[in-house]
Amino acid sequence: MAQDKEQLYQQRLKRYVTAMRNEKPDRIPIRPFVAEFTAKYAGYNCQQVAHDYTMAFEAAVQCAGDFDWDAVVANMVYVWTGLSQAIGLKYYATPGLEIPVDTGFQYREPPEKDAFMKSDEYDALAADPTGFLYNVWLPRASNEVVQIGSPSTYRNNLSFLKGGMAMLSYFMAFGPQIQRLRTECGTVSAIAGIFKAPFDILADKLRGYIGLTMDLFERPDKVLKACEALMPHLLHVALSGADPEKNVPIGFWMHRGCTPFINQQQFDNLYWPTLKPIIQEIWRNGHQVLFYAEGKWMRHLEAFLELPEGSIVFHCDQDDLFEVHKKIGHRFAISGGIPNFLLAYETPDKVRAFCKRIIDEVACDGGYIMDASAIMQNEISIENIKAMTEFTREYGVY
Amino acid sequence: MKEIKIQQPTPKPGVCIEWEQKRKELPPIQGDEELFQRIWENNEALAYMYIWQVLLSF
Repeated sequence: MAQDKEQLYQQRLKRYVTAMRNEKPDRIPIRPFVAEFTAKYAGYNCQQVAHDYTMAFEAAVQCAGDFDWDAVVANMVYVWTGLSQAIGLKYYATPGLEIPVDTGFQYREPPEKDAFMKSDEYDALAADPTGFLYNVWLPRASNEVVQIGSPSTYRNNLSFLKGGMAMLSYFMAFGPQIQRLRTECGTVSAIAGIFKAPFDILADKLRGYIGLTMDLFERPDKVLKACEALMPHLLHVALSGADPEKNVPIGFWMHRGCTPFINQQQFDNLYWPTLKPIIQEIWRNGHQVLFYAEGKWMRHLEAFLELPEGSIVFHCDQDDLFEVHKKIGHRFAISGGIPNFLLAYETPDKVRAFCKRIIDEVACDGGYIMDASAIMQNEISIENIKAMTEFTREYGVY
Repeated sequence: MKEIKIQQPTPKPGVCIEWEQKRKELPPIQGDEELFQRIWENNEALAYMYIWQVLLSF
């Protein structure tokens, strides 16, 4: 049995990697980014999979064992709210606390006046990003950590001890979880490591989107310098978590860099120049990057074509998958593109019809990985996921 | 488009406090300095990972 699973794993790994290299495998790989969907399928609620990662791991394994999928993320409900609570992070709404038990955890960006970084702090961030994060950012982002210069507290000390040990225990649990997926299910762990663009980090966690958009007009040079200062650190973090076998890509979660969040000029002068060199350096180190392109990125596909052929896998969210394929399919593999509303609220026949169109028009020459547009939460229909999986397996053979 | 090179900052990525700074605080090293540096930087990497992972992943 174990040998069968290993054989299955090797078949799936080859299929998945071949498609990501923009080549034609034996059949179309299926790599659904199933998050709270796993809870729904396995009989957990959102609180359970967010706050107890062992339940999230179990749900992921149950799904991987029951569905004929080539690759999954070891835990797509990635934010363990037990850890964020131990650190005292203010910005999450936890299922069962601030939001209902069966709503997925939420990131809550603070209002502009409460941004975790102020508009006059760009120089301090650029001078020493790591020091700034510890000394300025974290005390503001956490309810437990006290400001530098204030008397220390019991809760402050506990935050670092519990946060550090909890993070280590969580990260150390991924190795056995990935091994379980392999030995029990024959399923590949889909990504390794994390990357975000310098601009996105400023928008998400430091200045906030609204504050940053004002800064782009009032102090664009400072924004650029801060992005430049973040570049080597974001590269380091990306490479430190990457797959040592260089099979699966680093996940890149793209948030605020597309129009209309910023305009084309800002993309050209700031977002892209501080992102492109990192992707090039990651590629020089032998790793692909999965562009998880949340939103609409059609206007920026020309820029992405400047990257080395095969260096990225482009995941299609709100863009027209068929147009994306025409524009960049000759250089990069593509994943996703099945609208989530279709998988949540339409019929299995409509799901099958859409998958057929993808297979006929996008996946026909390889270089495509079947998945939804966005991460799948608990509104997704189990019946429709079965339809997507079974149809792709039957019809998606080369 | 402006070409931007990735900087080599101080402290370097992967540590919060560089070994060179810590070394100045220590008495003269009688033993293997490379070993002291390696273990210092390994532990620094954990502190570095902590804050950057909080920022990026959580």
